[in-house]
Amino acid sequence: MKYFFLNVIKTVPVLILITLIVFILVRVTGDPVALMISENATEQEKAELREALGLNDNLIVQYINYMGSIIQGDFGESFRYNTDALTLVLDRLPASIELAIVSMILATIVSVPLGILSAIKRNSLLDLFITGISVVGKAMPNFWLGIMLILVFSVMLSLLPVSGSGTLAHTILPAVALGTGIAAEMTRLIRSSMLEILGQDFIRTARSKGLFEAVVVNVHAFRNALIPVVTIMALQTSTLIGGTLITETVFAWPGVGQLLIQAVNLRDMAVVQAAVFIIAIAVIVSNLLADLIYRLLDPRIKYD
Amino acid sequence: MEKLLQVENLKVRFKTNEGYVSTVNGVSLEMKKGEILAIVGESGSGKSVTSLSILDILPPNGEVYDGEVYLEDKNLNKISKNEYRKLRGKEMSMIFQEPMTALNPVFTIGFQLRESLQLNLKMKKSEATKKGIEMLELVGIPDAEKVMTRFPHQLSGGMRQRVMIAIALSCDPKLLIADEPTTALDVTIQKQILKLMKNIREKLNTGILIITHDLGVVAEIADRVAVMYAGEIVEEASVFELFKNPKHPYTRGLMASIPKIHDVVDKLHSIEGMVPNPAEMPSGCKFHPRCPLADNECVSNHPKLEKISDTHAKRCFKV
Repeated sequence: MKYFFLNVIKTVPVLILITLIVFILVRVTGDPVALMISENATEQEKAELREALGLNDNLIVQYINYMGSIIQGDFGESFRYNTDALTLVLDRLPASIELAIVSMILATIVSVPLGILSAIKRNSLLDLFITGISVVGKAMPNFWLGIMLILVFSVMLSLLPVSGSGTLAHTILPAVALGTGIAAEMTRLIRSSMLEILGQDFIRTARSKGLFEAVVVNVHAFRNALIPVVTIMALQTSTLIGGTLITETVFAWPGVGQLLIQAVNLRDMAVVQAAVFIIAIAVIVSNLLADLIYRLLDPRIKYD
Repeated sequence: MEKLLQVENLKVRFKTNEGYVSTVNGVSLEMKKGEILAIVGESGSGKSVTSLSILDILPPNGEVYDGEVYLEDKNLNKISKNEYRKLRGKEMSMIFQEPMTALNPVFTIGFQLRESLQLNLKMKKSEATKKGIEMLELVGIPDAEKVMTRFPHQLSGGMRQRVMIAIALSCDPKLLIADEPTTALDVTIQKQILKLMKNIREKLNTGILIITHDLGVVAEIADRVAVMYAGEIVEEASVFELFKNPKHPYTRGLMASIPKIHDVVDKLHSIEGMVPNPAEMPSGCKFHPRCPLADNECVSNHPKLEKISDTHAKRCFKV
C-alpha cells in the first residue's frame, strides 16, 4: 500500500508538466478573441476583451494565476458555452468511459478465444487465418472502419443508428470501430504469450497430473499468459483514448473526445485545458491500475 | 513379483524441418511392482523421450510410431486419449529434472497439490487439503500447513522437488517416473531426495523408473539398470552385476569415467567421439565409431540384445 501511495505522489510532477505544455500550446496556436467576438467588433472592443480575460499579462503571470485556480478546481469558463469548463468535461466523461469499457469488453470477448485457439493450433490453417485477420484489424484506421460500418450497417442495411447515443443499439457501431484495433492487438499478444507459456516445464507437469487439456490450457497456461497481456494493454490506454477522440467524432458520440476536438477548433482554451487534464488523469490512473493488477496476477512481484 | 510395466519395441520419432527423426529405436523394458529400475545414458540417448512416451506427454511434434506399452495387463496403445489422461497422476505419475520451473509460479503449493486429488480421487476441498498436508509431511517438509499457502518461488530447490514428489505420489500411483530428479540439486539434497524415494518404495510399494546420467545415483537407489545409447538399450543387468561385471564397451567406458577418490590422475577418462546425431545414425552397431573393439562386423551388422544370464543382457558382438 505504501508503494501505491508513493506512486500516486510521483504522478504530481507529471500532471504539472502536462498543464504547462497544454497551457503553452493553447497560447501559441492563435488568438482566441478573434473567434469569441463578432466580426464587426472594433480593435478597441477586442483589446478590452483581452484585458478582461487577462491575456495581456506576462505568460508566467498568466500560468501562475492559472495554476492557482486549478488548485481550487477552477479551470475557467468555456468561451463558447459560458459555463464552467471542468463541469462541461465531467458531464461528458461517463459517455466516454462507457464507450471505452464496452469496446474493451468486446475486444476481450473476441481476442481471448482467438488468441488461445491460434496458439494451441499454431502453424495450422486456422492460426494463419486468425493471425491474418488480426493484422488486417490492426492495420485498419478506426475512422475509416467507423465510416465503413456506418455505410454497411446503417445506410445499406438500416440495422443500426448512424450516430448519437442513448441506447445499446447506438453503442454497437462505435464500440466495434474502437474495439477492433484493440482486439487485433490483444489477439496477437495472447497468441505469443500463450505460445511461450505452453512450452514451459510446468505445463508438462500439469499434463502429467492427468488434468483435462482444457484445464491445462485455460487455467495453468492462460493465467500465466495473462500477466504480460494485461500489463501491455493497460499501458496502451493512451492509444485507446486517442482512438476515442476519432471514433467519438465520427459517430457524434457525446464524450470528452468530441468535446475536445470541438474546443480545439474553436480555440476554447479553458475547455481544452480541462479536457486534457482529465485525460491525463485517466491515463495516470490506468497505469497505476495496471501496476496493481500486475502485482495481483504475479505473486513473484514483491511490494516494497 | 507381479509385472507392473512392460514396454515392447518402443519407437519414437520427431517431426523436424528435415523430416522425421527417430530418437528411440525399439526400446523394451520390464518392471515389477515395487521395483526401482534405472535408465542410464548420455544426453540425447533417448531416455527422457522414453519416459515421456510411457505417460503419453510427448511434445506436440513427437509421436510413438511403433511398439507397445502395458501397465499391468492394460495395453496403453489400445485406450483412448481420455482414458490415458485418467491414468496419469492416478496410476502413474512423474517428477522432473528442474524443480525450479516444474511448478506453476502463479498458484500456491496447496492449489497444485489439491488439484490432482480433487480430480483423480474425487476428494472435497477440505479432504484434499488434509491429504495434501499429510503428503508434504511424508516427503519431509516442516511446517506443512504453512507451506500449503506458499508460492513456489518462496521455497528452495530441494523443497520444491519434495513438493513435486508429494504431488506425484498424492494419488498413490503404482508407477513413478523420475526424470533426473536430483540433477539440479546440490549433493546433500540429492542424497536426501534419493533416500526419500527409497523410503517411499518401502512404504507404498511404488515402482520407480529413474532416468539419470549419474552412475552414483544408480548405485545408490536402483535394483536393475538399463544402459541406453543412441535410442536403444545396449546393456541391462541387476545393479550388482552391472557394476561388478560390465560387458558392453559403452558401459565400461561410462564406468571408467567415474573419478575414483583415491586415484590421482591428470585427466579424467572420457569416451572418444560424440553421441551420434539422430538424423545421421551410423550403420551396424550404433556405437562402432566410438568403440575400441569395433571391426567390420560391427560396421555392417546391427547386434541384437541377447541374454548372457537370467539377470544380464548385452547388445554387442565382441564381448
